[in-house]
Amino acid sequence: MYRKQVRRRRAVLALLVVGSFVLLTLTYQGSHGLQSGVSTIFSPVQSVADRALKPARDLVDWFDKTFDARGENSRLKAELGKARRQAVAGQEALQENAQLRKLVELDRDPPLAYTNYKQVTGRVIARSPTVWRSSVTIDAGSGDGVSVDDPVISGDGLVGRIASVGPGSSQVMLLTDGESAVTAKVVPSGVQGVVKPEVGNPETLILDFISSTKPVHGGQAVVTAGWRARGLPPSHFPPGLPVGEVTKAPVFEQEARQQVDVRPYADLRNLDLVQVLTGGSRG
Amino acid sequence: MILTPKILARIVAICFVGVLLQLSFFSQVELFHVSPDVLPALVVCLGLLGGALTGAVSGFAIGFFVDCLLVEALGITSLVLLGVGYLAGLFRERFEIHSSVLPALLCMGFTLLAEIGFGVIQLLLGLDAPLSILVVRDLLLKSVYAFFLGWPLYLLIKRILRPALVEESTVRRGRQPTILGA
Repeated sequence: MYRKQVRRRRAVLALLVVGSFVLLTLTYQGSHGLQSGVSTIFSPVQSVADRALKPARDLVDWFDKTFDARGENSRLKAELGKARRQAVAGQEALQENAQLRKLVELDRDPPLAYTNYKQVTGRVIARSPTVWRSSVTIDAGSGDGVSVDDPVISGDGLVGRIASVGPGSSQVMLLTDGESAVTAKVVPSGVQGVVKPEVGNPETLILDFISSTKPVHGGQAVVTAGWRARGLPPSHFPPGLPVGEVTKAPVFEQEARQQVDVRPYADLRNLDLVQVLTGGSRG
Repeated sequence: MILTPKILARIVAICFVGVLLQLSFFSQVELFHVSPDVLPALVVCLGLLGGALTGAVSGFAIGFFVDCLLVEALGITSLVLLGVGYLAGLFRERFEIHSSVLPALLCMGFTLLAEIGFGVIQLLLGLDAPLSILVVRDLLLKSVYAFFLGWPLYLLIKRILRPALVEESTVRRGRQPTILGA
């Protein structure tokens, strides 16, 4: 009797292991109808759970942020001073830009590609539980006009792109996902490269493959290069979307490894509402 | 564990609520920059209370459900969690759980194992990005959180599944001494 039980147990275990490998083989290269089906059925439930649990999440976030607030305060004060100086300089630049545009009649040119995009707002309803994957599920899907590879932004900057779409929900691959890569450039220096993640570190991205001839400095902004980046593969992202800011840019690292560290503008760990840029022309 | 349709329904409800809570709550909150992962602890509790088969099947089901909801490649989470559930069940069958701290410690250990297992599978499948040293912090803190979450979780699941559990102490108490000549 006991042996029979053990044999049955081993058979079930073997079946489950084989089943896992079969599922992995069938679905590794892309999403399956089954996943979209289950996701579609349960996305309303997830949405309700997400809203119901928001107060509890906010409470935990409050504790977490209180711990961080002290260090953050002094850093923000310094950043505010810097931003004020930049804002003044920016106002001057805007005036100058408007005058120059009038001079060269740039305003008559076709609008920038990314004004063709429509913005679809989505709420994050689920998040991958492990550090090895960096994705979130939002409550906007193909029914809202969202399609695969659409760029996703938050109020602060680029968040990622749509990895798969269901009728009522979509999966967003964040910038910090191991498979993510975004062609980007540093402004104002114009140095181009690819923004890649460092798995396990949500606060730092790496701008890789940069040219070592032009130096990059800390504090410089990194924006998407779009399909206009020369020598790099076509991008899913329109040019000019803010990605982050260069934090560490030691000269020896730029020369030896041709990379610098970038802090993403968007708070990728605490996303709530995001916007999907749908439509628009692609490279 | 005595599996009746009622108990099965309770286990399914536990798994369902556990997955929803993980994706909608635990994954979206952070303490010291790390989100807790309650799913390995949940599977460990089910394995410890229900045995190896219950642990493995619930681990597979939870993994499958999570991958479906996140529209991820199916099978990875199932494989990791079924292994964790099976090992927890085997532990229960070979050793007695005397201390109330032991389930929490096992939740901690198996969560660490699950996270490492998950990483190994991702690396085997080809992770095209450099690894940060902060991964270690993430794994360790997730395990610590599993210790604190596993403790009440084990007691809660034990309470929910109580009608199906064969308590060692009850079995021992039930045995009456044989009175010779009676």
